[in-house]
Amino acid sequence: MYGGDEVSAIVIDVGSYSCKAGYAGDDTPKAVFPSVVGSIEQTGETDEAKPDKEADTASDSKNGTKPMDVDKAKTKRKLYVGQELEFRRDHMKVISPMKDGTVTDWDIVDNIWNHAFRQRLLINPEEHPMLIAEPSTNTGQQREKAAELMFEKYKVPALFLAKNAVLTSFASGRATSLVVDSGGGSSVVAAVHDGYSVATSPIGGEFLTDCMMKSLESKGVAIRPRYSFKKKEISPGEYTVVDLDLPNTTESYKLYCMRAIASDIKESVCRVPDTAFDEVAYANVPTTSYELPDGQTIEVGADRFKIPDILFNPSLSQTIPGVDGFADSMSVRGLPRMVIDSVNRCDVDIRKELLSSILLSGGSSSILQLKERLEKEVLEESSGNTRVKVLASGNSVERRFSVWIGGSILASLGSFQQMWFSKAEYEEHGVSYIQRKCP
Amino acid sequence: MEAVVVDAGSKLLKAGIALPDQAPSLVMPSKMKLEVEDGQMGDGAVVEEVVQPVVRGFVKDWDAMEDLLNYVLYSNIGWEIGDEGQILFTEPLFTPKALREQLAQLMFEKFNVSGFYDSEQAVLSLYAVGRISGCTVDIGHGKIDFMQLLSAYLLMLCPAFYLCLNSFHINKNIAPVCEGAVQHIASKRFDIGGTDLTKLFAEELKKSNSSVNIDISDVERLKEQYACCAEDQLAFEALGSSCRPERHTLPDGQVITIEKERYIVGEALFQPHILGLEDYGIVHQLVTSVSNVAPEYHRQLLENTMLCGGTASMTGFEDRFQREANLSASAICPSLVKPPEYMPENLARYSAWLGGAILAKVVFPQNQHVTKGDYDETGPSIVHKKCF
Repeated sequence: MYGGDEVSAIVIDVGSYSCKAGYAGDDTPKAVFPSVVGSIEQTGETDEAKPDKEADTASDSKNGTKPMDVDKAKTKRKLYVGQELEFRRDHMKVISPMKDGTVTDWDIVDNIWNHAFRQRLLINPEEHPMLIAEPSTNTGQQREKAAELMFEKYKVPALFLAKNAVLTSFASGRATSLVVDSGGGSSVVAAVHDGYSVATSPIGGEFLTDCMMKSLESKGVAIRPRYSFKKKEISPGEYTVVDLDLPNTTESYKLYCMRAIASDIKESVCRVPDTAFDEVAYANVPTTSYELPDGQTIEVGADRFKIPDILFNPSLSQTIPGVDGFADSMSVRGLPRMVIDSVNRCDVDIRKELLSSILLSGGSSSILQLKERLEKEVLEESSGNTRVKVLASGNSVERRFSVWIGGSILASLGSFQQMWFSKAEYEEHGVSYIQRKCP
Repeated sequence: MEAVVVDAGSKLLKAGIALPDQAPSLVMPSKMKLEVEDGQMGDGAVVEEVVQPVVRGFVKDWDAMEDLLNYVLYSNIGWEIGDEGQILFTEPLFTPKALREQLAQLMFEKFNVSGFYDSEQAVLSLYAVGRISGCTVDIGHGKIDFMQLLSAYLLMLCPAFYLCLNSFHINKNIAPVCEGAVQHIASKRFDIGGTDLTKLFAEELKKSNSSVNIDISDVERLKEQYACCAEDQLAFEALGSSCRPERHTLPDGQVITIEKERYIVGEALFQPHILGLEDYGIVHQLVTSVSNVAPEYHRQLLENTMLCGGTASMTGFEDRFQREANLSASAICPSLVKPPEYMPENLARYSAWLGGAILAKVVFPQNQHVTKGDYDETGPSIVHKKCF
């Protein structure tokens, strides 16, 4: 029907912050949208449907006795994905399908995939082989679930699951490398060679955004989410801001909108300091101004350097009022430590090669000066006589989508075409065959 | 021989030889009437068997499209079988790859063109006003596209391409600076457009003129004649009481009154809940789509906003857009681009075609298009590699 023999494969990468989907062979994904969804519960009980009253003790007792029944009765909820999430609706909660990097709610992932195929890419999944990028820490059970969902519901002709770290390696053309993926939800350091040695930390872009938000709040800056105000013209050329009262907006939605603004502040203003952050030394650093959507201008000073330094020194986050501590704070290490630990777990022979090809990827890796600082710190923490080289693509778009780009390259290789896990094989051998086909 | 530019929209098909400072020579409805023997063109006023080859911007009925193009290229533009020239097509954003390949296949195999190129309508509209970075809001009959084009990302096209592109405008004293790439990650597309506004208008007229039976195509014409935009939201709400009623005589003799319905059509774009959609108005959508691009480019994008498409030429629309833009929840307010004076009037309606004409003048002489030789060698998928 198409005339050509190649039917474009689709590459899809659902991360903890954003989902990227597009055709194989392209240099950027065509569809990028948040992987959180809005959900409005549609149960008969009106108490259940008011999540912003969760703290209310009166309904607490009622909620206390109900949850079991509610879960069993499978509350119907309406999910809003991608574009639809941007519209403020009453009682719409923002929920994420992932927890700690692994999928916990497959229904949401199903909706996300559906949205990507039917509404963003405008394709029919039955006609395109799918390459799915999965976290490096994915369990066998998760992979089987993904394969099952794809084959049964979407009836794809062929499937392949590839680990994120491997795809990033591919994107830069290396077979052996140490991938530092600092994404929205977490930072993962994975060594790519024959086996894997993976170290993860819960510090990701989202956490940094939270820190930024709390830090600004503690300094008295009120961030107004976009939906909560509108401008009025009092005289030609002059505008005042009028607050809109929207009582039924859920806390999670409000937080989501405020995060969007805080993350914009973070992206435009933050830089990694050249040496470890020191409150005293940075107290007098010149401030940069940033204009909020409602017209307020704020000055960001020491925070510019403090927030990114959390990646290197997680305990700094404790100094910001309002930021929750980590449940297991002893094991949360900074990036350089994670790199060294990962390398030490690998075979002695390849350690040198790993240290000289450290790849940076993920959204948070675009923070200015991250590359230089990481190189410096790893050099200090390692024995000192090995060559340490951190590689990062110059283009920030490429860094953000390096997993997706790797997938795009992989799926368009001629030699890859025989590696697909096809529908026929699925029907013949069952879903557990995927463990063998996709290492 | 000059290249031909074809802009096949959901409602109107614009075609002509690529002469950039004139409006397209052929503007005709793309609706067709199906007759039993051989498909003839006709105005879509007939009830039975109306065929629409282009739905929501995408080609859905290939046979009808072939007949339509047959008429356009051979009867109207004057190509002769055996001596076909080069053709440039326009397409909406997010066209599936399969559709592009099918179009290329149609052109090379059925029509035997010597060269083919296609490009997105929103991008061409920006070229028509002499910019290679900025945003476009393309409000067509079947869809609305929001597109951001940035001049800071490298393209694989030869730099000479852009020098030529610039030279057209430089001769008229505009000089854009560097290459442009569409930011797909930030662009959006909505499946609402002029046709939904027409339905809305029809419903509203029905409510106030319940005894009169109006045909949908008449409503279409009425919409084009009367629809306009209120100055701002407050003015719209105030209209309820004080609006000048107009009396209009339909072709079949019936008389209808049109009061505030005409303003509802324009308002629906800024307040989509009128259309029954849960979404924000177009200015908000523009601002949020731009926020997906890196912050350093926001100013460049928002200050070069272009409105185009048939619906954008509604009376009062641009002023309302600018007003809403000033009130938008953003530090930088979108501001509209002023079209150059040497461009024909009514630029908004034909901007995609005009941009296509400019692009045709650059791409074909430099052999950057898909030639018959390329197609024969690689097949339809060559279109993805050569046309951006």
